[in-house]
Amino acid sequence: MTATRSAPAIEHAGGGRRGALAPGLLPLPALASLAAGLLLLPALALAQPGNPNPDASAPTAVSPGSGRCGVCHPTERVQFEKSQHAEEGVRCTSCHGGNDRSLEVASAHGAGFRGRPARKDVPALCASCHSSEARMRPYNLPVDQHALYQTSGHGRLLARGDTRVAVCSDCHGAHDILPPKDPASRTFTLNIPRTCGACHGDSTLMKQRGKPDVFRLYMGSVHARELYDRGNLRAPTCVSCHGVHGAAPPALGDVDKVCGQCHTAERRYFMAGGHYRARSGDDGPECASCHEAHTVQAAQPERLAGSCAQCHAKDAKTLALGRRIWTDYHSAADEVEKAAALTARADAVPLQTDDYRARIEEARTYLREALPAAHAVQEDVVAGFTTRARSMGHEVQSEIYGKLGHLRQRKFVLILFWFYLLLTLLVLKRYRDQGARKGSPDRP
Amino acid sequence: MSATRPPDPNGRASWVDWLERRINLSEIFSFLTHFGFVITPVDTSRPVREVLREVAETPVPKYASGPRVLGLLTAILFALEAVTGVLLAYYYKPTPEAAFESTRTIVRDLPAGWFLHQMHAWGAWLLAAVVVIRLLRLFWDGLYRAPREVLWWTAVAMVWLVLQLDFTGRLLTWDAHSYWATVRGMEVVFALPIAGPILAFLLGGRVVNDDVLIRFYALHVMVLPTFYAACVYFTFATLRRVGLSPAPEGRPEATTTFRDHLYTMLMLTVGLFGVLVTLATVLPFRFLSAADPYVTPGGVRPPWYMLAPYATLQWLPVPAWL
Amino acid sequence: MSAPRERAAPATGEPATRRRFLTWLSRAFLGLWGLGAAGVVGAYLRAPEHREKVAGHLVSAGLLDDFKIGEGRLVRHGVSPFYVVRLDAERVVALSAVCTHVRCIVDFDRERRVLVCPCHDGRFDLAGNVLSGPPPRALPTYAVSVRAGEIFVHL
Repeated sequence: MTATRSAPAIEHAGGGRRGALAPGLLPLPALASLAAGLLLLPALALAQPGNPNPDASAPTAVSPGSGRCGVCHPTERVQFEKSQHAEEGVRCTSCHGGNDRSLEVASAHGAGFRGRPARKDVPALCASCHSSEARMRPYNLPVDQHALYQTSGHGRLLARGDTRVAVCSDCHGAHDILPPKDPASRTFTLNIPRTCGACHGDSTLMKQRGKPDVFRLYMGSVHARELYDRGNLRAPTCVSCHGVHGAAPPALGDVDKVCGQCHTAERRYFMAGGHYRARSGDDGPECASCHEAHTVQAAQPERLAGSCAQCHAKDAKTLALGRRIWTDYHSAADEVEKAAALTARADAVPLQTDDYRARIEEARTYLREALPAAHAVQEDVVAGFTTRARSMGHEVQSEIYGKLGHLRQRKFVLILFWFYLLLTLLVLKRYRDQGARKGSPDRP
Repeated sequence: MSATRPPDPNGRASWVDWLERRINLSEIFSFLTHFGFVITPVDTSRPVREVLREVAETPVPKYASGPRVLGLLTAILFALEAVTGVLLAYYYKPTPEAAFESTRTIVRDLPAGWFLHQMHAWGAWLLAAVVVIRLLRLFWDGLYRAPREVLWWTAVAMVWLVLQLDFTGRLLTWDAHSYWATVRGMEVVFALPIAGPILAFLLGGRVVNDDVLIRFYALHVMVLPTFYAACVYFTFATLRRVGLSPAPEGRPEATTTFRDHLYTMLMLTVGLFGVLVTLATVLPFRFLSAADPYVTPGGVRPPWYMLAPYATLQWLPVPAWL
Repeated sequence: MSAPRERAAPATGEPATRRRFLTWLSRAFLGLWGLGAAGVVGAYLRAPEHREKVAGHLVSAGLLDDFKIGEGRLVRHGVSPFYVVRLDAERVVALSAVCTHVRCIVDFDRERRVLVCPCHDGRFDLAGNVLSGPPPRALPTYAVSVRAGEIFVHL
């Protein structure tokens, strides 16, 4: 009941007039306090301290989460009421201290009142609950976020006294914290790039720090296209590569491990190939050398020349290797696509093509495998797949051409048929003439 | 075609005599004459062989030639359509889900299915052309005057029926082109004043869906062919009454025997069959993919015979309330 | 039938037999039309059950004894290829070989007894469940029966 009654009170606090209809629903003591409240509220709304409230204990403006704080802090109250914390029974006082049962500013903001926590204190404040195994166990939530945060780039700077770094509330929100599976949450997959981009897309801030505007770079990548254009929630966001609470750029030697989380086959071939063997320590080619770090792009023939030339500019033979692999792959893909187009032609005849489709699917599987195999930067490894795909494409093509050739045989049979038909006409004509000859003179 | 076989020359006892002793074959044969296919009346008290001989020697005008052949072709082609149509109906399933699949099964997977399908399609094409040309020729030669009004109105009805058969049959394959051709054709039909709403009611609505498909199927395989057969009967029966159309002016009426006429007709049928087989093999009708009510392929237009009413409607100031 | 021919004028017995032969021949010739029509229509009307259907419901995957224990074999069957894996002396399972992610054909890893998709490293166990990787659904499994030593898969 208290929760429902608090609604008109809020409207009064905002100066609304509709609340005047509500008193009929309220018990008498409430009416009395409302009458007093109507006079006092404009003053309360300005949060002027020191207003005496004679009827402070009347439960008119309380709610389980925000207590009576919402009387003076309606915006925060509305935000907080929607949050996961309010749902789980966390109160204003859990973070801010003070007394939420008092409408008197002096006592409400009295003993143990923390006010707005300082930025440097935020992680520790959140950790007071979120690092407690006992408190988090019912929710099956991890408790290592604070420890992880301290290892992150953000946490290390904060420890050094730089408060212009992300703390818990910058990513999760202060009052309106939602679980990450909620699409409205700042930490929902689709919103993560923008959440990080609030700082990492702020070019003035990043310029001060001497960092690139990685948000804009990311938005140009194949990952962002997959995430936003195709709505694939499995596509990687910032946290997929940098970590969540322990966010930090991966070490140079670790890039292939990070990318290899998803691109397993690519990493396997990469590690078997010459590029990996050529690495000395943390120096040497890794994923981002060709694909870029944030502007991740698929290898394209027009990009190959540039990225290979970074290291192989003097060695023309090696420089051409990328293009040769690419040409090999595309000629095989062309064969398979030609076979697929021919299948469509056979379908229009129509011929039975289920078996051809199955084989084209198989050939396409080889082609898809050839792309990861290219990361071994060895022609024969790629050719192992492209040759198979190409020969399957050839096979299907020749078989369909064979069947279409049967259709041409139909036309040959048609010529034979016409011979037969003309003979039949001759026979019939002979019958007719015979009948006419014998019919008229002989028979009566 | 046993009626056309010449009697056994050596007078040996044949199966005809054997059967004659048990059944009155001439009476059975006379059903044909009553139906109108044979020119002379038949004396059912005489043995069938004599009757046949008599019929065979009946002098008839030479009508399996010149413009008169058109009337014969309408009957022959209809017979072909009936036979192939029945065979196709054995495998066809008139539901939107199965229509295209079953047609493709007939054309692709069944032995000789493609042949029957193409024969049916090309036969329909030729039949539509033949009935229209026949109507034009009847009009041109003034053959709609008394006592030939029945023939004229029958010819008009046959044109209408064939066009409807073509229109309903086109939808049945349920491939993208046939579906959208039907949708556009239906729009033309429904835009007609007065008749449009009535047709929309009879065809099960303005949206081409499963209701319309099953009604088209029923019309195509049951209703319309029955009417067409009735028209053929009316034509033959009236011909017996009023005689064949007169020979072109200035030329004597050539006469021949009925046997001669039957052989000529048989040769005509064989020739026509050859033409159809050639068309079906060399220029087969193609399939697109299955119809998708939400994707319109390019290049779809109403069937050719719909173009005239379509163009007319574009010009006619049809009041909006219709 | 006594109508004289230009070329068959002189003889008496010979032309008669020749004419009869000609008559017989032309009748046989016309009869071929009937035979042809009957053949075409008969082939067309033969009930579909007698034909081998591509999407057959029961597919033979070979003899049980040809499979070693733990061996998996890809059966190429139309657009739905599948694996047949012999688990032990008696049990045989059949799973679709088409990955539920982007329709690649999965490989069988005999050591680990999993199916691995070569495209994006999706892994399935032999009950079809997704173990790891991007596939959104489990692989469909098919019922298997062994009759007289031969493995049949019910699709």
